[in-house]
Amino acid sequence: MWWSDLFRNMSPANFFNFSFLPKYLSFFVRGVEYTLLLSVVSVALAVIPALVLALMRLSKNRLVRGLSGAYIALFRSTPLMVQLYIIFYGLFGVIRIPSSVILGFIDVSRFIPGVTALALNSSAYVAEIFRAGILAVDKGQTEAARSLGLGGWQSMKLVVLPQAIKNILPALANELVTMVKESSICSVLGMSELIWGAKTVATTTYKTLSPYVLAALIYFAINYPAGKAIEAVERRMRRGDRL
Amino acid sequence: MATDCEMIRVEDLTMEFNRGQVRALNGCDLSVDRGEVVAIIGPSGSGKSTLLRCLNLLETPTGGHVYFNGTDITDKSVDIDLHRRKMGMVFQHFNLFPHMTVLKNVTLAPVKLKLKSETEARAQAMGLLERIGLADKAEEYPNMLSGGQKQRIAIVRALAMEPEVMLFDEPTSALDPEMVGEVLDLMRTLARDGMTMVVVTHEMGFAREVADRVVFMDGGSILEQNSPAELFDHPSNPRTQAFLSKVL
Repeated sequence: MWWSDLFRNMSPANFFNFSFLPKYLSFFVRGVEYTLLLSVVSVALAVIPALVLALMRLSKNRLVRGLSGAYIALFRSTPLMVQLYIIFYGLFGVIRIPSSVILGFIDVSRFIPGVTALALNSSAYVAEIFRAGILAVDKGQTEAARSLGLGGWQSMKLVVLPQAIKNILPALANELVTMVKESSICSVLGMSELIWGAKTVATTTYKTLSPYVLAALIYFAINYPAGKAIEAVERRMRRGDRL
Repeated sequence: MATDCEMIRVEDLTMEFNRGQVRALNGCDLSVDRGEVVAIIGPSGSGKSTLLRCLNLLETPTGGHVYFNGTDITDKSVDIDLHRRKMGMVFQHFNLFPHMTVLKNVTLAPVKLKLKSETEARAQAMGLLERIGLADKAEEYPNMLSGGQKQRIAIVRALAMEPEVMLFDEPTSALDPEMVGEVLDLMRTLARDGMTMVVVTHEMGFAREVADRVVFMDGGSILEQNSPAELFDHPSNPRTQAFLSKVL
């Protein structure tokens, strides 16, 4: 058949030939650890700046609103890879971080710029999550709080945010799932996360396909259950919601 | 009327939307004395809610002044939060805080604004809830309550700040008919106890019975104000006459 040529190199044996595993397992284990650390730390660091950006975006002051809007637009409209290069060679070309290894496999001179880029990028997206969550709370709630004499920030903190968190948490967890995937871009700067591990194994063993297949399976095994869990939590929260 | 008992004075209040294309308020003047109950009536869209919401600056008027106890609260340098403490407000849709128990709803502002200790606020709240017969609901969340109960608790929440005036924005409009009575009863009790009240309402019976003065608004203007007996029985403005002939 003419089309069998297409699949010649794609035999299951090629796809799932994980014979490199016994020798190179550590690349994948370390890779997963690096990837998870990178994404969790980045999203965690993004939360506070994102809240500030979201509140700025909702401010009455046009300048404050514009500044936040510009930041969000900039980071959402340019590729993460470009941001990563600019921050790595630009920002951290000026601020030199001495090379030292923590936890046995993390080189801080690469990790810190990577986390910074991901966190700055993520804060733009998380800011929009916060903004939407805050706007979804009925305006009457703020009015009631303000009419009692509570100040703007107190009303936000005591009345609006505790209600907004229900809308925010699932979206934030989704952002973490996204970040687990997006952080793979850090491999271009030699950060030893999962894709970098797969790439290294591929070039060392001349198996150009199966290390990436394994990486894909690992990403899937992390993100699919995580996504399902988020959906389940979301459904339960909605049920508790009916007034 | 002696000016020293005047609590709220509104001067030439205007409210424009869309850069003056829509005028919700057209130069309103109004004065409310201490202990007085003023009912504001009029057709939908006549500006009555907007006027009420301008009294505590939930809506910022585009022109004119609002004086509360002699202070111009429309002045930008005034700390509006301090004045709002003294002006309770009750909303059409209750706006109870759904993530807090009834007790917490009532004690939140006095405690967080450091006007009362947690124990004092609690005792006061329980006393108020006792008065409206809802002390047993103190630990419930608002979603377990009927509309009438919610609105009475919203009134109690405002009272916990010990306000000098209570503003009511169509407090019974979102209620099932059988629950209107309990809310109006509570408002009647408040009025009898001497609370200063400004009530935007469609309940003509309530306005006639409880109000000291009834204000009729249409098209963003105050067209007529008088004692309930005069206004309802001998309206002088043709639009008041037309409105009343439809609703009474």
